[in-house]
Amino acid sequence: MYQENWPDTYFWPYHQTRTMSVIVQPVTEANLLQDPLRFDRHVPPCAIVIFGASGDLSKRKLLPSLYRLFYERRISQSFAVVGSSRTPMSDDQFRDKMKESVSKFLEDAPFDEDVWKSFAQCLFYVAGDMSNPESYEAIREKLDEVEQSHQTAGNVLFYLSTQPSFYAEAVKALGAHNLTKGRGWRRVIIEKPFGHDLQSARKLNEEIHQVLDESNVYRIDHYLGKETVQNILAFRFGNGIFEPLWNRRYVDFIQITAAESIGVEGRGAYYQEAGALRDMIQNHLSQVMATVAMEPPTVFDANNVRDERAKLLRAVRIMKPEEVEKYAVSGQYGPAKVGGQDLLGFRQEPSVDPNAQTDTYAAVTFFIDNWRWAGVPIYIRTGKRMPKRVTDIAIQFHAPPLGLFSQETKSGLREARPNLLVLRIQPEEGISLRFLSKSPGSGMRLRPVSMDFNYGSSFGERSPTAYETLLVDAMTGDPTLYTRQDMVDASWQIVQPILDSWANTKFDFPNYDAGSWGPKASEEMLARQGHVWRIP
Amino acid sequence: MSSTVIFPAQPEQILKGLGKLWTGLGHEEKQQGKPTVLRACAMTLVVATDEDDGGFAASQLIPQLMHGHPCRGIVLAVSKTAEHDVEARVMAQCWKPFGKAQQICCEQIEIVAHPESWPNVGPTLAGLTVADLPVVFWCRHKGALSVHATPEQKAGLQVVLDLSTKVIVDTAGEDPMSAFELVMRLHQNGRAVADLEWARLTFWRQPIAQIFDNPMRTNKFSNFHTVEIEHEGAQPTPMALYAAGWFSGFHKAKVKFRSCQGFCPGLHSIRLISDEETIQFERTGPEIMRLFSTNGRERVYSHSEESLYALLNEELSIVGSDPCFDVAFNRAQELLIGQ
Ligand SMILES: NC(=O)c1ccc[n+]([C@@H]2O[C@H](COP(=O)([O-])OP(=O)(O)OC[C@H]3O[C@@H](n4cnc5c(N)ncnc54)[C@H](OP(=O)(O)O)[C@@H]3O)[C@@H](O)[C@H]2O)c1
Repeated sequence: MYQENWPDTYFWPYHQTRTMSVIVQPVTEANLLQDPLRFDRHVPPCAIVIFGASGDLSKRKLLPSLYRLFYERRISQSFAVVGSSRTPMSDDQFRDKMKESVSKFLEDAPFDEDVWKSFAQCLFYVAGDMSNPESYEAIREKLDEVEQSHQTAGNVLFYLSTQPSFYAEAVKALGAHNLTKGRGWRRVIIEKPFGHDLQSARKLNEEIHQVLDESNVYRIDHYLGKETVQNILAFRFGNGIFEPLWNRRYVDFIQITAAESIGVEGRGAYYQEAGALRDMIQNHLSQVMATVAMEPPTVFDANNVRDERAKLLRAVRIMKPEEVEKYAVSGQYGPAKVGGQDLLGFRQEPSVDPNAQTDTYAAVTFFIDNWRWAGVPIYIRTGKRMPKRVTDIAIQFHAPPLGLFSQETKSGLREARPNLLVLRIQPEEGISLRFLSKSPGSGMRLRPVSMDFNYGSSFGERSPTAYETLLVDAMTGDPTLYTRQDMVDASWQIVQPILDSWANTKFDFPNYDAGSWGPKASEEMLARQGHVWRIP
Repeated sequence: MSSTVIFPAQPEQILKGLGKLWTGLGHEEKQQGKPTVLRACAMTLVVATDEDDGGFAASQLIPQLMHGHPCRGIVLAVSKTAEHDVEARVMAQCWKPFGKAQQICCEQIEIVAHPESWPNVGPTLAGLTVADLPVVFWCRHKGALSVHATPEQKAGLQVVLDLSTKVIVDTAGEDPMSAFELVMRLHQNGRAVADLEWARLTFWRQPIAQIFDNPMRTNKFSNFHTVEIEHEGAQPTPMALYAAGWFSGFHKAKVKFRSCQGFCPGLHSIRLISDEETIQFERTGPEIMRLFSTNGRERVYSHSEESLYALLNEELSIVGSDPCFDVAFNRAQELLIGQ
């Protein structure tokens, strides 16, 4: 709505202290002039330091999101980005490189040359190795500089977008160089993966807490920033009609699917160490499960929402070692021909060990031991090189108590459990409810039909990307969609027995073809419960 | 893409016309063998107008608004050239969201009534609103809104009002006494009322409000004891009164109005005065605004008048009540009476 012409004149934040010896105590008073119905959420002035600024995540997600926020004037002009990595670059070279990436990776939005010019004035670069103390001194100098030139008010958000092995070291170094304290707030965003297993995650937490208070640690899980994942909460707790059905009495089982059609895309070396269970289920999908199954919070604020998510994760039954084979399936894709194209198997991908035991597919049956969900299986599957890219949650309701029409469904299909609610997260975000309806014509022949709500068409406007949402949240100090220490701990606990068991198993891989829905064992896991995987 | 059919305005005929449109779109889809069209609707948006353009401006605006607020758009225009007493045409307004293969389509209905037939439009409209969704009524029919409206005009308006969950009017250029009387009159039976003059103020209010967002700020809003509003014309305009109502609504700061000389459409400046600081937001040129504090800092904004599209886009995002507007309106009324 407005254009700010003087980027370097942010002036409101601080009362001008007239003598150095007077400490001015802020008086707490809610801002009476706020109008949340009409005003954008105000992002305070700040500097963002990105470690790993030349990396893939910065190029594809972080800078495009920041540019987009700037374009929409969601972030104040009193802001600056300080990028850092080893590659030597000047500020201008960094700006040129980022311009190329932003114009390429901007999602659903046009690139504006003029806006870029003023955005680029806020970008700076400091070359340095994170293991070298001098790098942090150089960053401090740059921060002092931008605090003056861009009036960032001493607020700093550090974004750790480097190899996970640097997280603890970087936080320690930030503390040692006094970068975690200053005139304004200091927060640290930590990318996934948070730890490699339960033990390493706990150790990492301990190391981080030696320097930072939990309230300043923002562990990112970009799935939680997706509009459609947030919409699950709106759907469940904003409406009165679904919650009464949301329990073991009405729900037969839940399936969560996150399928990717691509393979490891040049990230073979990283993926080989991680695997699907660690890469997707431990973090994203267990958080999605928590969002779908948690109890309603009493208040919609960061602590209450996160308390409920954590409580749910703690209620997930931890598998005994002997149960792993029954409730978890590991898979790896082999080569196949899809649409006339030869696709490599995982072991043939560049930088992958030809005998790798990595799971490129994982499926798990979880049970939640609480009153709401006791006995309801929650099936989660994720995999690479599946037939299509789709993430959704399917809630299968029980069949009606008396099957009046069970012989009459068209085409002889068994529609014993007709009612299915699907929450689609990507790519066509929306919600659909399947139910039976009478086919036109004589006789009571029933046919499944679907009632559909499409997020994109009902709200024709572009939705912010997950990273846009999460960056604004971190800048405004709202951690609701970030993962708290106890949530990370609980989600590692539920996958750890599976990891342990798989580490000691020699799998006969590959066990599914690229372009298929995964290994046969996964179908068998559901068949044992009398269920089948749906085809999304 | 949009297609058009014209016929007398019987609700069933109009609905049949819409049905045919969708069947046609479905047919195209079948030929292409994949879903290409999505029908979207979140509300009914009714625009009534007695402007000379026969509803042209409103008809042009609705398709733009549909992108953010998918709706069944209904334009009710009064025109002496209408062939039938009341005639209608239906259209599908379709667009492709950036980067998507599928079109989104909304319905638009245009009803043109001869001035004498305006009261008959109500029953037509009653059959056309989308069930169970909000009905937002943007009233540009100055004649029917006026205190001098004929009984027929009033009756025509009342039917539409009875269907509406929210009414939007624009009191720009109106005498504040009759403008506020109108807002009060419309604000009945729990119906939400919006005045575009208030939406125009968002640009003024937001930057000032943000100043007080900062928890480190020591000079809090409640220390500001006086609000000075400089406005166009000899008397405070509705917008000036809303601004004063808003800034003084929370702790009854003293309000002073000043008439502005020189270039000053609408508002010219807002000053918040405390013992140790004055904050001023003022127009310094046709498209330039300056926000400054006697504490020594300032910031410049370029700002052109909001388009009707921007104002309506803001209003359509708020379907329920608007507590901030209510505070400002109630206080503005007190100020007007006290003038
Ligand atoms: N890429 C994604 O889509 C994605 C998605 C979710 C999470 N993540 C997580 O985000 C983090 C970054 O991923 P990425 O894909 O961007 O990795 P990447 O492409 O490998 O980038 C790593 C970055 O770290 C820098 N770096 C490496 N060693 C360094 C050192 N000793 N000192 C300073 N900088 C160093 C690299 O730049 P130089 O070589 O110039 O130093 C580069 O900028 C990882 O933890 C990853 O798990 C990534």
